[in-house]
Amino acid sequence: MVVSSLINGIVLGSLYALIALGPSLLYGILRILDIANVAGLTLGAYTGLKVFNATHSLLAALVVAMLASAAFGYLLQRFLYRPILGRGPLIPLIASIGMFIAMEEVFRLVFGPYPLDFPAPVPLPTVHVGGAVVTGVQLLILIVGVAVLVGTWYALRRTRLGLLWRATSQDRETASAMGVNTGLVIATIFLIGYALAAISGVLLGVNYNTVYPTMGDIPAYKMLAIIVLGGLGNPLGTILAAMLIGLVETFVVSYVGFVLPRDAIAFIVLIVILLVRPQGLLPGESSGS
Amino acid sequence: MKIGFFAPESGFAAADGASAYDSAQLAVKDINAAGGVNGRQLQLVNYDDASDPKQAVTIATRLVTQDKVTAVVSGSYSDQTLAAAPIFQRASIPVLAAYAVNPGIPATGDYIYQQDFNGIVEGRAGAVALISNLGAKKVAIIAIKNDFGTSLVQGFTQEAKALGATIVATDYSQFGEKDFAPILSRDKSKGATGFYMAQYYSEGQQFINGWNTLGFKYPLVGTEGIDSTTQFFEPVGVKADGLVFTTPFNRDSTEPVVQNYIKAFTAAYGHAPDMVGATTYDSFLVLAQAMKAKGTSPSQIRDGIAATTNFVGVTGTIQKYIKGQVVKAVDLQIIKGGVPHQYATLDNPQLITP
Repeated sequence: MVVSSLINGIVLGSLYALIALGPSLLYGILRILDIANVAGLTLGAYTGLKVFNATHSLLAALVVAMLASAAFGYLLQRFLYRPILGRGPLIPLIASIGMFIAMEEVFRLVFGPYPLDFPAPVPLPTVHVGGAVVTGVQLLILIVGVAVLVGTWYALRRTRLGLLWRATSQDRETASAMGVNTGLVIATIFLIGYALAAISGVLLGVNYNTVYPTMGDIPAYKMLAIIVLGGLGNPLGTILAAMLIGLVETFVVSYVGFVLPRDAIAFIVLIVILLVRPQGLLPGESSGS
Repeated sequence: MKIGFFAPESGFAAADGASAYDSAQLAVKDINAAGGVNGRQLQLVNYDDASDPKQAVTIATRLVTQDKVTAVVSGSYSDQTLAAAPIFQRASIPVLAAYAVNPGIPATGDYIYQQDFNGIVEGRAGAVALISNLGAKKVAIIAIKNDFGTSLVQGFTQEAKALGATIVATDYSQFGEKDFAPILSRDKSKGATGFYMAQYYSEGQQFINGWNTLGFKYPLVGTEGIDSTTQFFEPVGVKADGLVFTTPFNRDSTEPVVQNYIKAFTAAYGHAPDMVGATTYDSFLVLAQAMKAKGTSPSQIRDGIAATTNFVGVTGTIQKYIKGQVVKAVDLQIIKGGVPHQYATLDNPQLITP
């Protein structure tokens, strides 16, 4: 049971990491918690499902979903966030929550209230590891998760975009004065952040074989716990926090049962860690560490 | 003649709300097409409670004071129905709760009736199915944490103990739970050889996913919470074969009223109806026959509902109402080839009397 809990926990952690990574990157650069990013997740799931039904290609579904959500993210930053960015963190936060709720009802009106199934066959085998079963979908999540997370780490640490992201994140005005086109950097991060949300949406839809208008509710607040736990605005801390929460949740359920709501576990871990380490697991990029 | 109606038509339960509202519209259309009630046409006054008990209170007040309805059907969950019931009771407006199972609803007063058997009765029937019919001796319960789940577990546990079974674990999961494999393997390691799944269709789907990942072949019993063709039987398909569940809605029934309803609903909305829709449709049929029997004032309708005996509806034969709670047989259905079929009918009076 240890091995299967470990695998289940890592798969869940990878999903959480994919969900929280986009908002974490956006927080790092803008200091706003972009709840509406989760609407990008649901949009990605619905787009992916529609494309999959039309083409029967999971790859096409992923690509089109990423494009659709990225476009949505671009429009949001251009027409929602850019005009209100200068007004402190609260106004964009409230706007993003409002946008998230409104989008849930838009999804309901456009796609209907019923959960839709997403029966995409994953072209990967079921693997047996030490008495535990890893299904094809779980394997896909692990592969995509590792690829995206390694890719993000590489992009942030080794590319010009990463350098610009870090510069803008540390001090937007100075970066701008040094000739960095911060508007373009922000727009690029929105494109990436929302494309990541689309990947999570499609993987969630396929893994649980269901896509519905309010599928973003739980990711929306769990993502917050993970971002804060990881050290606000530190993408690597976010990944670490996501894995930790995925593992703790799975082990608690495996060995104790549903003692308390699964989603409360994330917040209990958050509270305990913050009492010991108020700056989060890995402090934010902006704190200069 | 205005009939009030409310259901969760937006928010997380919007799928059930839509199902109930569609059936409500169909019922009113069918009753009116057949000449209405005593020559008068019914008019549906619909509100969306968004799964919010506070909203249900506002709606109830509106239905009573502004719309001045003569009777009400609740197409909503127990929380909303419980919150609204006292307002209708004070105004002496009869209410039929289509599928809310909380026993506290009819206890509100003599104007409030429950159309679906309560959770305790259904839980007892689940225990009979799992222990007597399927032969499980050591059972694990995994239920949704709300009044639906807790009242099912209460009935199930009583009856299971009476039948001599051991309950090795009882766990409550939250709405939206997606990962049941860990709890299932823990229950297996505790020695469970039979499982009671008191879940709704979304969580039930995830339960079956976990069940299949682990390759479980144990006896498994579910409840009316999974009783939806579009939301459970079709997406889950043959993966749930062998699952037995308790429900008031027998799709295999030869009663014309059942087959006509299934046909009309499918033609109107393009998909098969579910249990939530079926009990809502029945609530309107019961209202109409009560009006025909005793008259169309609120108190006459109340008397008409109370006097109902052996009424054949879409969800079985209503023998009578006791203190507002329906008495009718519990149907056991089994999934074979991805489709639910009649398995047995439990009509032992001791079992089905609330």
